[in-house]
Amino acid sequence: MSERISLKQAERRAFTAAFEDGLSDVFIGCVVSMFAIAPHLSTRLGDFWSSAVFLPVWAALYVIIRMVRKHVVAPRIGRVTFGAARKAKLMRFNIVMLVVNVIALVLGAFVAVKFRSVSGLVTASLFGLICLTLASLGAYLLGFRRLYLYGLMLAASPLVGEWLWTHKGASHHGFPITFGITSGVIILTGLVIFLRLLRHSPLPSLPSEEA
Amino acid sequence: MAGPPKDPHLHPLADIDRVIHASPRLMVLTYLYVVESADYVFLMRMTGMTWGNLSTHLGKLEEAGYIAMEKQFRGKKPHTIIHLTKEGRAAFREYKRSMQRVLDDLPD
Repeated sequence: MSERISLKQAERRAFTAAFEDGLSDVFIGCVVSMFAIAPHLSTRLGDFWSSAVFLPVWAALYVIIRMVRKHVVAPRIGRVTFGAARKAKLMRFNIVMLVVNVIALVLGAFVAVKFRSVSGLVTASLFGLICLTLASLGAYLLGFRRLYLYGLMLAASPLVGEWLWTHKGASHHGFPITFGITSGVIILTGLVIFLRLLRHSPLPSLPSEEA
Repeated sequence: MAGPPKDPHLHPLADIDRVIHASPRLMVLTYLYVVESADYVFLMRMTGMTWGNLSTHLGKLEEAGYIAMEKQFRGKKPHTIIHLTKEGRAAFREYKRSMQRVLDDLPD
């Protein structure tokens, strides 16, 4: 035996094996695509409804992903539940996300009210910083390493968009282009992982009495 | 089967739990130790064993009281969920300690 057997690694492998199906990437990518599509809708629906219209879409997508996990993924990779340590980690992740989101919301509202004339670049930097913080925390706490890369792409999107808007005359602060590319990359990554899983993990042969 | 070793320093090796020591069962227990419960498909995937092979080893572990198998229903078909028992967790911990005791001082 050339390597040490690490129980922590085994737990991490089990966790990754159970959730590494690419569907979370697809969901994240679809959520990000809102920033690319909403600016086009805002002229017709207004700022609030152009974003709110996505909520039922996300809810439907969430239900679809759960169904795919249950009927397509689980029969291929199996079902596993995790122990107290992992559950505590997930709980910590949810609490941290909630706190960061509330801070971001308060900060965003404060900037919007107090500094109406603030430059677009400052707003874009602030937004990018929040995205990077959230994604990095998710990557660290969940062991979902691709989130670091997604976080960087999300942080760069508003800044590059702002540059495209001021220097190249792109519409809607360049958001449709930059967030469109970012969401496309994330969705495509997820789909590739999902298709690879289908290809490499065929349905195992089980005796007829076992589901 | 070999009798007790002449060298008293090797006694801990003779006391190693043979139910756990077989590599397929050790793989299964390693995964069951770090998760709360898992099904056949998950264990087959993680250990690379076939259904028949896994079934045999799970049977031995169940016989020793180290794991419990619970039949649940998914639709009309039964679905087996496997988890480590208290005894199994204690035995695995003890096995880990014994192996560490025995192997830690060996030169590379």
